[in-house]
Amino acid sequence: MSDIRHSLLRRDALSAAKEVLYHLDIYLSSQLQNASLSVGDKGCTDLLEEFILQVPKERNCQPKRLNSLQELQLLEIMCNYFQEQSKDSVRQVMFSTIFSPQGNKADDSRITLLGKLVSMAVAVCRVPVLECAATWLQRTPAVYCVRLARTLVEDYCSLLPGSIHMLKQIFSTSSRFCCQFITAVTALYDLSSDDLIPPNDLLETVVSWIFEDPRLILIIFLNTPITANLPIGFLELTSITGLIRWCVKAPLAYKRRKKSSLANGATGTKMGKENALGVDNDCHTLYSKLHLSVLQVLILLQVHLTEKNLFGRLGLVLFDHVVSLVEEINRLSEELNPLNVAQEMELSLDRLAQALQVAMASGALLCSRENLRTVCSRLPHNNLLQLVISGPVQQPSHAALPPGFYPHIHTPPLAYPGLPAHPVQTFIPGMTFPYRPIH
Amino acid sequence: MAAAVVGSSQELAQEIKAFISGVDPVHGNKLPLKEHARCAIVLLWNLPPARNAALDHLRGVFDEYVSGYLVELESESGARPIVGPSLDDIIQEIQSVLSEFIRVNPKVWAPIVSAWSIDLMGQLSSKYAGRHSVPHASSLNELLQLWMSCKATRMLMDSYIQCLSSMISTCPDACVDALLDTSVQHSPHFDWVVAHIGSSFPNTIISRVLSCGLKDFCMHGMAPPDALFPTAADKRIPKIASVVGILGHLASRHSESIKQELLKMFHDSLGLVRDQQQKATVPFLLQLAVMSPMLLSIISAELVDSLKPSVLNQLHQHFATLPREDLENIVSLIVHLISQMSNGAYRILQFLVNTAMPASVITTPGLAVHDGVREACDRIIQLLLLNLQKLVYSRSSATLVDAAPRPVPFLDELKRHIKDLCVETLRLERKRFLWQHQLLGLLSIYCNPSCAPDALFYMMTLAKSQEELSLAAQLYAVLTSSVSNLLPTTIKKCVSQIHSGSISEQHLIQLFGNLALLIQWEESPSSMSSHLALSVSSHLFDFGQLLLHQNPDVSKAVTLLLSVCPLPKAIRPAQLLVIIRSAVHQFFLVLHRKCATGIGYTSKLLARLSGVSSLSVKAILQQLVEGALHRGNIQLFGGSVEAWTWEMNSLEDSNKTSLLDINQRFGTAVNFSGSIWSVFHAGIIGHGLKPCHASQEQEQSEILYNTQKFMSLIIQCCSGGRYHVDPTQLQPHEVLVNPEAAKTVAVVLVELICPDVTNSELAWPPEEHTRNTVERDIQIYKRFKENPLLFQLLYFVGLGRPALCYCSVLLRGLLATLMAHWEGSRDEHTTKSPWHLQASCALVACMGEGYLLPPVLSNMHEIFSQLTPFEVHLLLLSVWEYLKDNSPLPQKFTFNAERGLFFRDFARDGDIGKYLNVLHSVLHKNIDRLGLLSGRLQAYP
Repeated sequence: MSDIRHSLLRRDALSAAKEVLYHLDIYLSSQLQNASLSVGDKGCTDLLEEFILQVPKERNCQPKRLNSLQELQLLEIMCNYFQEQSKDSVRQVMFSTIFSPQGNKADDSRITLLGKLVSMAVAVCRVPVLECAATWLQRTPAVYCVRLARTLVEDYCSLLPGSIHMLKQIFSTSSRFCCQFITAVTALYDLSSDDLIPPNDLLETVVSWIFEDPRLILIIFLNTPITANLPIGFLELTSITGLIRWCVKAPLAYKRRKKSSLANGATGTKMGKENALGVDNDCHTLYSKLHLSVLQVLILLQVHLTEKNLFGRLGLVLFDHVVSLVEEINRLSEELNPLNVAQEMELSLDRLAQALQVAMASGALLCSRENLRTVCSRLPHNNLLQLVISGPVQQPSHAALPPGFYPHIHTPPLAYPGLPAHPVQTFIPGMTFPYRPIH
Repeated sequence: MAAAVVGSSQELAQEIKAFISGVDPVHGNKLPLKEHARCAIVLLWNLPPARNAALDHLRGVFDEYVSGYLVELESESGARPIVGPSLDDIIQEIQSVLSEFIRVNPKVWAPIVSAWSIDLMGQLSSKYAGRHSVPHASSLNELLQLWMSCKATRMLMDSYIQCLSSMISTCPDACVDALLDTSVQHSPHFDWVVAHIGSSFPNTIISRVLSCGLKDFCMHGMAPPDALFPTAADKRIPKIASVVGILGHLASRHSESIKQELLKMFHDSLGLVRDQQQKATVPFLLQLAVMSPMLLSIISAELVDSLKPSVLNQLHQHFATLPREDLENIVSLIVHLISQMSNGAYRILQFLVNTAMPASVITTPGLAVHDGVREACDRIIQLLLLNLQKLVYSRSSATLVDAAPRPVPFLDELKRHIKDLCVETLRLERKRFLWQHQLLGLLSIYCNPSCAPDALFYMMTLAKSQEELSLAAQLYAVLTSSVSNLLPTTIKKCVSQIHSGSISEQHLIQLFGNLALLIQWEESPSSMSSHLALSVSSHLFDFGQLLLHQNPDVSKAVTLLLSVCPLPKAIRPAQLLVIIRSAVHQFFLVLHRKCATGIGYTSKLLARLSGVSSLSVKAILQQLVEGALHRGNIQLFGGSVEAWTWEMNSLEDSNKTSLLDINQRFGTAVNFSGSIWSVFHAGIIGHGLKPCHASQEQEQSEILYNTQKFMSLIIQCCSGGRYHVDPTQLQPHEVLVNPEAAKTVAVVLVELICPDVTNSELAWPPEEHTRNTVERDIQIYKRFKENPLLFQLLYFVGLGRPALCYCSVLLRGLLATLMAHWEGSRDEHTTKSPWHLQASCALVACMGEGYLLPPVLSNMHEIFSQLTPFEVHLLLLSVWEYLKDNSPLPQKFTFNAERGLFFRDFARDGDIGKYLNVLHSVLHKNIDRLGLLSGRLQAYP
């Protein structure tokens, strides 16, 4: 390996990088054929880090840096490589070898490079790259995923005016990536501060995707073998929780942003105010749409859960998340004067109540009404929420619910997320359950 | 710009390929520069990861443009440039793309574009700095003109300004940061950019540059670097250097704003809640000031105003938490700065001293500063003095080695306030005057030739008491070793100040009094008094001129000074005479004024002056006698003013008549001396009688006093000359009078009393000749009558044998008049006309004293009061006879070396018996009354 390294050191940065890619390809292909993939061959990864990720290995020996043009060339080469690599497995292995975080100092440039690569792939529609990236997003800790999502959002939503259409097209090019992207984006923009409100372009894109095909956000969930334990620190299986958070918190968060921008005097001009007002109105419409879509997805989910025999066993909406969402709402309402935001609060809580109700009914949220009651007790009063948490109630004539659907409001769930060994007894007529409750 | 948006991803891929390879994908030929640039723009629009590559590529376009532009400039032919105009539109396109980006999303794009454009400008201006069409970096304006007329750089500048103005309301730090970084990198060539931007956004740039600098300073650690080696700091904190540079550019036009910003920064940092940045503010400002004397001077003048007690207390509170080492650093930094401070140095000093003063009992409550503040100021002052001392002394030693001594602006500035400093010092307030005194010493040594004399001069002028004066002496003691010629220059300074009239009278009085005190000071340090005396005496004339100052106190003070200072051996006669004249004048003035101390000083002065040379003695005597006989002074000595008032009247009359008229009245106007017309001394017909005596009678005691003072002065002066004998060996009743001096007095008397020189030879004519000199004799008589002092003087002359001989004409005139009086007197007793009796007695006694008459003859005045007028006439006649036969000539005197006096041996003149006949007859006739005295009137051969 060291002789390769020395010969590489003599080359210019770009051709060295190309050479490393070439070697890596050959090496990984042979490893795959031998079926004895030893993850992380030290020599290979070292070369990779030194010549592609440009992390100096020796203090005294500074390798030639890629200039911006060479970097662009390298990106193009890599795009083309992944495009042209016919073997799926090699491509996957290659991608994860290069871009999986190793927990070392190369990770920073690794993620940066990945961001550029994916961004480029989005622009030039390199489906294989996007597919690989989708897989990467599944297997990578959420902090890195969020960074990738941020790069893409910055590139296409704020840097380049009018380039959002490129991002939009990933819906058709790679729906897996699209789904993961939404999950990452909802994890990134949690509306906890003014900066973390999703940009309008992004919101509009996401809403248009989901509205067009609500099934989109379930793609990963549907195509992945479900392991019992969801690993901690990774992206969630679906973006449902995140989207619920968007819809519920949006009215309050936008109100807060408006207030603080008024305080800063940034939107001083009348024009600016009107613009902001218009944009905010658009957003409200979008969030309403999104909310509807989310509810629809939850209903769809019930079918899929049932199909996969997971109904009552797998809570896609974790109770912990509901708790934290409620806390966030509380914090927001404290931050804003509750008297001024009565209308927004009403809307928020209405959406929360609906989402909770539907989620519980569809088996996405597994919790007892008792628990829910304690959690929601500190929220401001809301009639709908009161109805939802106070049960039992008569079967609500909810428009969104298909006829003949009875939510399991009378019985508490017997199992909690993370404990799928305990089946949940639900009361849904006409359904057969493979697991009987243990008494 | 929608045109730039590529429709499909395939097209985009094509564009990428074309951009990377630089080859036209369709035709396969090399892309021209312009097309390539368009390609870059397309990527800029469509491919976020390609942003850096595209922007970097565009740098090449600008570089190409600038180089073409310069070639065009250099060719001077105005020929059509190769690339210039063809690139114009692409430059335009780039600008519009970038400006669109900035417009749509300034928050993201402004930092990117500003950094890019600034960096590119820096690169371009550095790269082309060497070209001969590019002016040198020092000529900022030409450089600015050149680059602003180049479209490429202008466009970059416009883009940057767009970034800055779009961010200005929110957070322009990113843009300014880029500016600072580039400024560090491309410093001298990049200055035009800074200058242009700075003058476009002065306030923003100033405040932002400062805040960026502060941030950077915080990040690099706020430990202040060594004050004395700021170059080391340069490396450690690169950004602060460019902060200083940029502010330096702006200072010429926007110093006011800079000052405001700096002060604002300072005040903001004093808030109660302080983050790291606020804590670093003061060290940061200090560091700035260390690096830029210009900033220091901007802020120094105003800073003191803002250092109110509350602010000081806050500062103290904040610094109290710092570790000791940091504090030491800050203090030494402050001390260094103060010594480098020129503007407002005096105010800073005042502030420090005021604050460092120990709390007095009477302090306004609430305004008091914390004790810690006071101690800090105290410490700063002491360190400052120490530092200045180091600077000053190392500097003076350095002058020996290398030519250029280090300037100390603080002292340079204080030079102008040396007077204030002296005033402050002389207040003798606790502690502070010690500091100020020390500072004065340093200042004097620092500006060697000029300040030391100034300081001493002010000290001596302004000192009001001996305590204060001792400060001047101490200052002298400090300076004398390092400043040469200190006292002479000081006195020279005094003199020039006096001449220019810039000292008030009060100060003049103080100055002279102080000088006199110092000269008289016996235990003065470093023999100051003797040196000072020497210096003063070399300017004797200059001071002497002030003797006649209109303010009596001034002239008195000068008199005192001159009377105590030693007189130079060699002094120009003209000057000496002027001084003498002034002093004599002064003498009479103080007599008039009845000022005892003044009389004392003047007498002392004149006595000393008389010791200078024989010339001076003569001059003094002449002046004194002249003065005493002056009409205005006659009254002082009991004289009457009758005569002169009358003459004044006639003088006024004569003013009305023209000389021509008088000359035409032939025979009447001409004064025939000795003719009958001149004898009507009782008055002139037509004018009525002479007016009566002016009734201004002096107190008898005063007259006595004045006469006493005058005569003793005369005697002092006369004995001032070289003695022939030790005065201690004299008999008590003998007064040692220098014959030469006495002769001078005699001559002066003759000149004054009897200007008519006919028949004024020393030898006595027969008695009958008196008829020819009646008028003159009457005049002489009148003068004697109106002025009793004349007898005193005459007596004095008599003492200085043989000087009285020279007064013969006076004696003759007086004697003749007295004889005529007694002859014509019909009174029973001589006592009926007391004045004549007294005059006769005095005259004879005087002549006896002067050895004009032998003792027997001179003793006869003792019996005049017992005789009838005619008998007196006869006696006087015999005196005349004697004198006629034995003319009073100086040759008849011989010098007695033993006693040091002249004596006359009357035996040589033969028998005096025949002159005693009348006397003896009278004696016989009145033997009943005069028997007792007959013994005294016998001649004993």
